[in-house]
Amino acid sequence: MPSSSDATPRRAWIRRLRRTRLTIPDWAYGLLTVLVLLWLWEYAVDHAWINAYRFPPPSKLARTFEALLERGFPRGVTTDTHFKATLWRILKGYSVAAVCAIPLGLFVGATPLLERAVAPIITFARSVATLSLLPLAVAWFGVGEFTRVFLIAYGCFWIILTSAINAVQGVSKQYVFAAQSLGASRRQIFMQVMLPGSLPRIFAGLRVALGMAFLVIIAVEMIGTIEGLGALIMEARNFYRTDVTMVGMIFIAIIGFVLARTLAWLERILLPWVTDLEEVQR
Amino acid sequence: MKQQRAFQRNLLVSWSGVIVVLVLWQLANTLRLVNPSVFPGPLQILDTALNRFPAADVLDHARISVQRVLFGFLIGGGLGMVTGILAGWYRLFGKLIWGPIEILRPVPPLAWIPIALMWFGLGEQSKVFIISLGAFFPVVTNTYKGMISVDPMLFRAAQSIGLRGPRLLAKIAVPAALPDIAVGIRVGWSLSFGSLVAAEVLAANRGLGYMIMYGREVGEVEVIVYGILLIGLLNLITDYLIFNLLFRRQLRWYFG
Amino acid sequence: MGKAIAIEHVTKRFNDEDERALALKDVTLHIAANEFVSIVGRSGCGKTTLLNMIAGFLQPSSGQVLIGGEPAGSPGPDRGMVFQHAALFPWLTAIQNIEFGPRNQGVPRKQRRAQAQDLIELVRLGGFERKYPRELSGGMQQRVAIARALANDPDILLMDEPFGALDELTRSEMQLELLRIWEARKKTVIFVTHSIMEALYLSDRVVVFSPHPGRLRAEITVTLPRPRQRSSHEFMALYEEIHRAIF
Repeated sequence: MPSSSDATPRRAWIRRLRRTRLTIPDWAYGLLTVLVLLWLWEYAVDHAWINAYRFPPPSKLARTFEALLERGFPRGVTTDTHFKATLWRILKGYSVAAVCAIPLGLFVGATPLLERAVAPIITFARSVATLSLLPLAVAWFGVGEFTRVFLIAYGCFWIILTSAINAVQGVSKQYVFAAQSLGASRRQIFMQVMLPGSLPRIFAGLRVALGMAFLVIIAVEMIGTIEGLGALIMEARNFYRTDVTMVGMIFIAIIGFVLARTLAWLERILLPWVTDLEEVQR
Repeated sequence: MKQQRAFQRNLLVSWSGVIVVLVLWQLANTLRLVNPSVFPGPLQILDTALNRFPAADVLDHARISVQRVLFGFLIGGGLGMVTGILAGWYRLFGKLIWGPIEILRPVPPLAWIPIALMWFGLGEQSKVFIISLGAFFPVVTNTYKGMISVDPMLFRAAQSIGLRGPRLLAKIAVPAALPDIAVGIRVGWSLSFGSLVAAEVLAANRGLGYMIMYGREVGEVEVIVYGILLIGLLNLITDYLIFNLLFRRQLRWYFG
Repeated sequence: MGKAIAIEHVTKRFNDEDERALALKDVTLHIAANEFVSIVGRSGCGKTTLLNMIAGFLQPSSGQVLIGGEPAGSPGPDRGMVFQHAALFPWLTAIQNIEFGPRNQGVPRKQRRAQAQDLIELVRLGGFERKYPRELSGGMQQRVAIARALANDPDILLMDEPFGALDELTRSEMQLELLRIWEARKKTVIFVTHSIMEALYLSDRVVVFSPHPGRLRAEITVTLPRPRQRSSHEFMALYEEIHRAIF
């Protein structure tokens, strides 16, 4: 590298360009592809290479987006309502599952004999596809809010329960030994060692469970209601409005992204001591 | 002798939970604490399983379901693996395609159902599409993550003994990323399976999901429960086969 | 003040009747109050097993372990333990880790905070009180671990290869620190290590164990004045003696 003292303005400019080229952030590449794809899509529809009804072009989607925010869909149901309905259902089912599963999981995990006795039940209950329970839940509780919240809670419950059990069992024995040698009682060890030691894994389970809640809610909103984002995209199909379905999917992506980020943020606030907050994929 | 007795005792403990649940469930029915036509007991379901459906029919439904999920999974998972490996090997390609993937990833596979119906109609294609989406995203993200986190020392070691190009990819990068790929495949499989059930429950005329819906239409709860148990069992068995037999053996060096 | 430890004909077996599988066979060892004793030996010679019995994590199969004349019993705050991998609670800050023992013994908040602050000064970690363990280097983590073990003001300090995972330079720095701390707060110290040099540099007495079955092979009293010169003739001679006892 030449020293900066003899650099002419032109060479300094080139150097700066080089440096900026090296620091193009990764998301810029991604954004570039997205823009190119959107443009290609628009172009292809313009030239009638692909069907505008099946693949409504980005410009049309943008107008629909605006219209949805202003007037909502179907008539009389605002986008606001859809968002609130979906969020509220997720929140109810998810928090019920967490509130039940975390204490239970901690207890089961700390009681080895009990853990062995219930392990097959948990394994099987986890394997039961949550959505296969939909007809049964409908037969039991009817097509209503309770059924939807119940299914979300069911799906999340077993994931959180398993993670809480594994979390307790995964707390390193050396922490227990250290606490014992410092004279802590069994109760103190549970509250001050087992509990904080298992929080990171419990949070990992909560992240996976959020993905599950999201999967279930979209499916259960497709029947028996016109409120909620799942209902929005299904209703749009009944009216042959592919554009509305697609915008609805964008809404879903946004809400999913925001929820996942909120949870990650919460984790960083609550567990500042955790070394690597690795992203667990759904 | 001593060990055998310990093993038997372990077995008893492991199954005691299941036995207790089954007995309580049956007692609640026998004592009419719950309405048996709404909450059928284990014996009633066993009776349905043995007498209500011929085994051949049930096997046929199961076969259809397995075929669907396998087909969709192979397409989605295969595409995901190839995309992930290429994206991890050719970094520029990876950066370029990661935008669209990251945008589409938060959309759960079931949210594609209305679009799939519009694109492919009510038939087999749309189900396979949904199922393959379930497999694609977990596999592609985990494969990519595995590929880009391979220890650079491995590459240096391999290059110093003369490996380069495609052989470096095939002999070093992919094997080193395999544990992550395995995680992706396992998650992808369970998501494919969940999507299959949803797709069959919402629209199908064969398969285990359809069997459940049939039970609901004729109002026989024990048929629904039977179907649910079958699906759960199938999920359990396939997951066991994939994970324990395939990966445990292939990835002994990793799982120990 | 430290307490004396008496290990009387202690045998420890983990499963079989196989003679060679004995972790410890008929070990007798007396340690005076405030003495600094190191235990060296190859892997599997039972040195950690012995330490765990003194700590109370394990009970002898036969024989007994007496501390100040009383049976050792279950682990307690009278014996502070320092582990190889610090084993600091990652969810507590440095000072909270040090306070862990006193807090669970019911020491009032103000008092234990003051004690912990004193210990922070003793191990020279002023300014790092509010750091989490992951933000500290290996040497600093061991300093916190020592302070944590001292916080209950134990009679005995048990150290299981505490510097084994540190690099050479940090290690000799920590050895000096340990001697200084031991001078400041008189304790009986039992120090398990793989390093003959370390044992010789630190202790009043070096005890050599041999494996299969674990047995006491030799005891070497070190009377060299501290700080010791590692290159001195007497030091090297003792090194040779211990080396011969091990092999």
